[in-house]
Amino acid sequence: MWSEAWQEYWTRGRGSIAFVFGLAITVLLVAVALLSLVWTPYAVDAIDIPAKLQGPSAAHWLGTDQFGRDVLSRLMAGAVNSLAVSLVAVGIGAGLGVPLGALAAARRGLVEEVVMRFNDFTFAFPALLSAVMITAILGPGAVNSIIAIGIFNIPVFARLTRGAALSLWKRDFVLAARVAGKGRTRITVEHILPNIASLLIVQMTIQFALAILAEAGLSYLGLGTQPPAPSWGKMLNEAQTLMYLAPQMAIIPGLAIMITVLGLNLLGDGLRDLLDPRLRRER
Amino acid sequence: MTLLSLRDLCVTLETPEGPAPILQDVSFDLAAGGSLGIVGESGCGKSMTALAVMGLLPARARVSGAIVFEGQDLLSLPEAELCKLRGRRLAMVFQEPMTALNPVKTIGFQVAEGPRWHLGLGRAEAEARAVKLLDRVGLPQSRFSPDLFPHQLSGGQRQRVVIAMALACEPALLIADEPTTALDVTSQAAILDLLAEVTEAAGLALLFITHDLAVVWQNTAEMLVMYAGRVVERGATPAVFDRMAHPYTRGLLAASPGALDAPLPPGRRLATIPGQVPDPRQRPAGCVFAGRCPRAEADCLPAQPAERRLDGHAVACLHPHLEETPL
Repeated sequence: MWSEAWQEYWTRGRGSIAFVFGLAITVLLVAVALLSLVWTPYAVDAIDIPAKLQGPSAAHWLGTDQFGRDVLSRLMAGAVNSLAVSLVAVGIGAGLGVPLGALAAARRGLVEEVVMRFNDFTFAFPALLSAVMITAILGPGAVNSIIAIGIFNIPVFARLTRGAALSLWKRDFVLAARVAGKGRTRITVEHILPNIASLLIVQMTIQFALAILAEAGLSYLGLGTQPPAPSWGKMLNEAQTLMYLAPQMAIIPGLAIMITVLGLNLLGDGLRDLLDPRLRRER
Repeated sequence: MTLLSLRDLCVTLETPEGPAPILQDVSFDLAAGGSLGIVGESGCGKSMTALAVMGLLPARARVSGAIVFEGQDLLSLPEAELCKLRGRRLAMVFQEPMTALNPVKTIGFQVAEGPRWHLGLGRAEAEARAVKLLDRVGLPQSRFSPDLFPHQLSGGQRQRVVIAMALACEPALLIADEPTTALDVTSQAAILDLLAEVTEAAGLALLFITHDLAVVWQNTAEMLVMYAGRVVERGATPAVFDRMAHPYTRGLLAASPGALDAPLPPGRRLATIPGQVPDPRQRPAGCVFAGRCPRAEADCLPAQPAERRLDGHAVACLHPHLEETPL
């Protein structure tokens, strides 16, 4: 049964250009990041001052930076950093936001008020500003930027989950489950969450793209990943003063960020179309 | 032996515009293995009665009276105890089979859930039981795999799954809330036959809620007619049908096409009951039906008429029809 369903998704997915592109970019990105864990053209921190600020060449495909470090190697290692920070941050957001939203929908009343007002409070600050505030309090660093991005993801997932769950709680099959003697927790786990899984998956890909942007932004400001660890945002920052000397140093990480975010957004859009039950074929 | 007994059940919903009495002084008894039909038009309180028995009234409902099931007053039971009864001793079949099943779970899983939860069966045992139950409701494994999803079944087939779920833990009482309203006529007849068959085989008591007099006639031994949250007529189904005494009951009959298998003669238009059910917040002090009643007189207005006994049944009306029902 499930293999049939997957088959159908695959057939329909192949027809969507956005989905295919998004998936290809994302898979490529993950592959490059994984590859960098075992192999990069040069050591990430290998300094070679005589070869500094070179443009692309056969030896250095994407050129070198102001210390003569290989930009391709740093870009590959930076992908790991971006993916890891975003993955954990979205994990925190969904891991806390989904249960909170589900709880609010299941309990209603005072619990719902408290949870949702807490969400409003978090939401009221612009995301990047609150991330800056949190890293300012906790100190800069990759872990603290994960926490900061994670916290601003919580209300996104809590609101989405609550909204979708509320409409499901009004459906007859939930009433049927209550008639069958099930408590709210069991109904949430067995009936509510499976029905909003596709919605959550789509939101996760979109939040993932936003988290990559946020991580780059924090690193650019010097609040995220600290040098000498490679990160795309930091590379942009270092390139800033060298724009006239070596514009490729800014263009390359900028393009990497853009393509990654574009790929994840395309994937999210494609998944949304794919998982939309209104487009699902009836038998 | 009395299985379910309602005594003076009153349900009031708190609304922003003030309290709305939904049910007023509803009382009835249902014997183990018996069958009772509740008839009335939309908004008369039929479904609310079912939800009250299930303990699933909205949180803003105020309830008084008593609902005694197997010797326990359900209204005073804590929620955890009610959860143990629901699905185990009390089961329900819904009006809309299209939405009563979870679209992302297989039918086998959904039928097996009850036994796993209430009877503590293991996965394999519960699934074997689900296969048997599906077979019993006319969905044999050879043609209907338990791995099918609800969207792969027709409305009638889904309603069979819902019935299988309701029967899964061998309950004592089955509440059927308009189980055939959303189905086409052929599936309707098949589902009614199935309900009659399974309730008889299992000695289940059936509380059958419908707006269709013909369905009550064919499926229940006793009946209640409800109007605007009150019971207006009650008794053994044949006795009520022989001499429908309340003008509302007669109005319902006149408004039924081909009630009791007599097809509507060509050219005759269906009768309607003029007016609407009064808003629950603005019900008159006297007989609730007086505003729409062709037989209403001045004495109907001051107070709600008490129930009076006629031969074989009871009616809450000051000017009941005493002659036989013209059929």
